[in-house]
Amino acid sequence: MVDLSQYLPILLFLGVAIAISSIFVFLPMGVARLTGAHKPTAAKLAEYECGFPAFEDSRSQFDVRFYLVAILFIIFDLEAAFLFPWAVSLEEIGIAGWATMMVFLFELIIGFIYAWKVGALEWE
Amino acid sequence: MIGIEHYLVVSSILFVMGVLGIFLNRKNVIIILMAIELILLAVNINLVAFSSALQDLTGQIFAMFVLTVAAGEAAIGLAILVIYFRGRGTIAVDDVNRMKG
Amino acid sequence: MDYGQSLLITLPEIILSIGGLVLLLVAAWSGAKATRAVSISAVALLVAAGVATLCYTGDAFGALYSGDQFSDFGHVLIYIAAAISLMIAPRFFQRAGLARAEYPILILYACVGMGMMVSATDFLTLYIGLELNSLAAYVLASFLRTDERSAEAGLKYFVLGALASGILLFGMSLVYGFTGSTSFVAVLGSLGGGMETGALFGIVFVLAGLAFKISAVPFHMWTPDVYEGAPTPVTAFFASAPKVAATALTVRVAVDAFGTQTLAWQQIIIFIALASIILGGVAAIGQTNLKRLLAYSSINNIGFLLIGLAAGTQEGISAVLVYLSIYVAMTLGSFACIMQLRGPDGEPREELSDIAGLSQTNKGLALAMAIFMFSLAGIPPLFGFWGKVVVFDAAIGAGLLPLAVIGIAASVIGAFYYIKIVKLMYFDESRTVLQTGDGKALAWIGAIMALLVSPLGYFSIPLLGGFANNAASALF
Repeated sequence: MVDLSQYLPILLFLGVAIAISSIFVFLPMGVARLTGAHKPTAAKLAEYECGFPAFEDSRSQFDVRFYLVAILFIIFDLEAAFLFPWAVSLEEIGIAGWATMMVFLFELIIGFIYAWKVGALEWE
Repeated sequence: MIGIEHYLVVSSILFVMGVLGIFLNRKNVIIILMAIELILLAVNINLVAFSSALQDLTGQIFAMFVLTVAAGEAAIGLAILVIYFRGRGTIAVDDVNRMKG
Repeated sequence: MDYGQSLLITLPEIILSIGGLVLLLVAAWSGAKATRAVSISAVALLVAAGVATLCYTGDAFGALYSGDQFSDFGHVLIYIAAAISLMIAPRFFQRAGLARAEYPILILYACVGMGMMVSATDFLTLYIGLELNSLAAYVLASFLRTDERSAEAGLKYFVLGALASGILLFGMSLVYGFTGSTSFVAVLGSLGGGMETGALFGIVFVLAGLAFKISAVPFHMWTPDVYEGAPTPVTAFFASAPKVAATALTVRVAVDAFGTQTLAWQQIIIFIALASIILGGVAAIGQTNLKRLLAYSSINNIGFLLIGLAAGTQEGISAVLVYLSIYVAMTLGSFACIMQLRGPDGEPREELSDIAGLSQTNKGLALAMAIFMFSLAGIPPLFGFWGKVVVFDAAIGAGLLPLAVIGIAASVIGAFYYIKIVKLMYFDESRTVLQTGDGKALAWIGAIMALLVSPLGYFSIPLLGGFANNAASALF
């Protein structure tokens, strides 16, 4: 009698593989079919703004410079998350822990200097 | 009583939502970035829940690393998106098709 | 824990990190002027790191990182591949008008990550190494900022790479939860006493994520697009060094962490291997872009590599390492040849039709290209054949005769398009005006790689085989 349970891994793997790759292939098709029926006209797409024609485009685009600032913010903000557990446990981790964090901060500073020097921090 | 399996269910749901979010969304690449964050946070729920259940700190430390790597990933994703937008003038997912394969 | 010893064992990573930081500051102050100097220093740093790798062995930081012979082999191969990708790049970027000093620096950071990948003996180190490499790679893929295809390649690589990391990470969290540790040794021990379904899910997810990273079927869909869109030197880099790192990583995870559950992953690896060989061979037939073609070729080759891993024995792992070394030489050589194809105005040409009749315009280049193609196809007198021999030998030795037979049969499909390229170069009329040759560096690297994979390569078998055996024995 063959022990079928030993083939469970390959079954699982195939399941995961088929699921992920078929999502990748078929889902866009299905969604395109479902949403394909809508045939927008100018009247349908116009915003409803208290009976008046719209004054301005309701979806204003962000200036790309906001993104550049956001990019730098994410990094320097979240790396600071390491500081909290470090500060709390400083007594236990000793000089090695302290030195490690200093190295880490030093690396961040170099990154900051680089960003500054290449002009990523300038608004214009 | 909320046990480890409840956390696993929540994180699995979030994980699947993240994966679906990447493939289902047809409009905006930014939403893909959000979906990626969702996947990583699902993993973090797992790690922290296991860490607490096992009484072992490794999971929480791992979660910290995942958080910071996720930040780096998001930053690089945004940066690539910005240069993509500068070249093409659009970030709609349907338009990412210069190469067919 | 002895910090001094740990720092010495991780010295290659430390050299590259510090060197990268210093070069970053140099790049910030002198801008594009320093590109040449930074490139040369980067190669020097890679050499220094390679020497440092060989000097110290042992476990570092409480078994988070291992500097054993396996990691030495991986490190050296990665550094060689990275150094060559640095040497072939300058002229390409100069012509594109984007010769920037950040390219070598990003390669250095990617190397730090890859070094950690091959040395990782803990899932935490593995993840950090993988991400360090990936984050640098996403930026490299979109390095030609003004080229839409490059930006698109970067975007696609980023999205699918991040998804792969997510899947891998989810698997790691499950493995951690159900075995109670992230250390490979502890996971190995825990899995040895039986496995829960949750841990099995973890293994499956980890393997799926790793399959993404080595671009094995069914997780290969990003590869052709990224290879086509990325700047050619970057594609050459992607096809060589990260492949080595990801494969070595997969081997170490499979053997060191999941080694007590061989049955669980062996079937998966066998499936991936056969699917990659067959799809890589079949899908390549309709391609018209040389870089896309080489992408499918790399998928195909990953399949052969995984056959060695599927064997799961020391011979199998040693065969994987031998195959990897030969593959790196073949693939870097092929890209060095493709990069020499230029149109009349110096623009890069990479279509299949562009190489028609190449033998009439540039005999040397056509010969080198033919050597690489025959070698990739595994046709006997060339060295690529030896890689396939050791891999299949290991598979048969492990009792996987059917796998070896199917693999050999499938490699014939793959041979078709390699031979098509050779036929195009030698028997077709030239249709486009081609300016070939692009600097001495490319020609030299193409020639050296061609010599390595030519029948002369067989002289290196005792040396290469010895190193590979040593490295593989470190895992068992």
